[in-house]
Amino acid sequence: MAGQGFQIDLFIKILPELLRGAAITVQLTAFSVAIGTLIGLFAGMARISHYKIFNLPSAFYVEVIRGTPLLVQIMIVYYGLPALGFNLDQYTSGILALSINSGAYIAEIFKAGIKSIKKGQTEASISLGLNYMQTMRYVILPQATRNILPALGNEFIALLKDSSLVSVIAISELLRRGMIVYSRTYDAWTPLLGVALIYLCITIPLSRAVQFIEKRWEIHD
Amino acid sequence: MIKKISMKKKSEKNIISNGGPVIKMVNVTKSFGELVVLRNINVEIKKGEVLVVLGPSGSGKSTLIRCINRLEKINEGKILLDGKDIYSPDMDVHKLRTRVGMVFQQFNLFPHMKVIDNIMLSPIKVKNIPKDKAKEEAMELLKKVGLEDKFNSFPHELSGGQQQRVAIARALAMNPEVMLFDEVTSALDPELVKGVLETMKELATMGMTMVVVTHEMGFAKEVADRVIFMDEGIIIEENEPKELFENPQNPRTQAFISKIL
Ligand SMILES: Nc1ncnc2c1ncn2[C@@H]1O[C@H](COP(=O)(O)OP(=O)(O)O)[C@@H](O)[C@H]1O
Ligand SMILES: [Mg+2]
Repeated sequence: MAGQGFQIDLFIKILPELLRGAAITVQLTAFSVAIGTLIGLFAGMARISHYKIFNLPSAFYVEVIRGTPLLVQIMIVYYGLPALGFNLDQYTSGILALSINSGAYIAEIFKAGIKSIKKGQTEASISLGLNYMQTMRYVILPQATRNILPALGNEFIALLKDSSLVSVIAISELLRRGMIVYSRTYDAWTPLLGVALIYLCITIPLSRAVQFIEKRWEIHD
Repeated sequence: MIKKISMKKKSEKNIISNGGPVIKMVNVTKSFGELVVLRNINVEIKKGEVLVVLGPSGSGKSTLIRCINRLEKINEGKILLDGKDIYSPDMDVHKLRTRVGMVFQQFNLFPHMKVIDNIMLSPIKVKNIPKDKAKEEAMELLKKVGLEDKFNSFPHELSGGQQQRVAIARALAMNPEVMLFDEVTSALDPELVKGVLETMKELATMGMTMVVVTHEMGFAKEVADRVIFMDEGIIIEENEPKELFENPQNPRTQAFISKIL
């Protein structure tokens, strides 16, 4: 069977298995982006703070995460944390690594989003007696979040693809399911092209949706 | 004529209340880095008084009023609100700002909130007023500025003049003791200026203490109790509007007045 190219019969047969992997991929990504957004929100606010105790650690975090490969981060979390006495299963390790990773990118997105709001908004808000946190919560973040939704969407798409890296710690996500089929059938083309196809089926509609939102908002502003 | 009478009432009220000035600036100096923007400013604003601040662009007018609600920090001197130093440790800056309303040239309404929510934000979040009551008061204020039918609109659905009147209502919602206006009609199309000035005039008539930075000479002549002329961070001249416009003493004031009249 090996080396015969893409076989549609085999593809249909393994499709349910691959789709179960795709579901895990989407789940991993969704959890990680959700947690990453929370991390990114606070790291992003810390990043623009005038206080060094906030902005220095945040800058350090962002630099370190963006300056090292995700694969290394995944390995450190999965193999390194148990050495410190934290025993996490693969799935939790994967989500943790992906969340920490996306948090750094999302921090930069929030930072840009908050900075894009005109100074007059903050001045008007604090002139009404609102404090910094209230100003952020009721005035700046609602506007900033709307501005950064497309960027968050793109981050989701990027992380969805990057999440394939957690296959190295044996999480049965999409790519790993494909590899399992390959090792069983010795056919590389069908499962791997199938995997690629499924990734595309998820990412293309998503990026269209992001573009659609961007366009609509351009018209409305 | 009506205006004259109400002005008179106002000054009588001043005498009755007989407190010290609402705002007193003593030897205030403010710099941005090397640039000295306010030099040794001394101003007093009495209760119910309308003070107009005139001066060329860059003379420090905005900075002067922004110091009063601590949007800018002064380097030297003192600012007293009702006799109390606004930098004293037990003066909470957020509380201070609820007592001093501010209206900006660019309106600065919150674009993601409806008109009514713009107005209710501070009463609800800062003053902890129940939502129903805050809404009632906000509607009352909207009526006052002639926009009660716009309560459910978003700011971008309003004209600049309407937005500015909402901004005034928003500042009034905290029941401030003083209102600061920073060139609030400068960003408006000429035909929209009048409505905003009317609203401000009405406020003045009701006895609001106001500090108004403006180039609108008509407004200054009609509504101001006192006018100060600033240049390069110094108060060059201070007088009643009629005197200052018709009989300016300082050559710089003369040059400025002749240019804008
Ligand atoms: N945040 C700031 N940083 C540095 N310089 C400033 C700042 N705000 C105002 N200035 C300067 O202070 C001077 C006075 O400004 P401003 O009070 O806005 O004048 P006006 O309102 O009379 O036009 C100007 O030279 C201006 O460039
Ligand atoms: Mg100005």
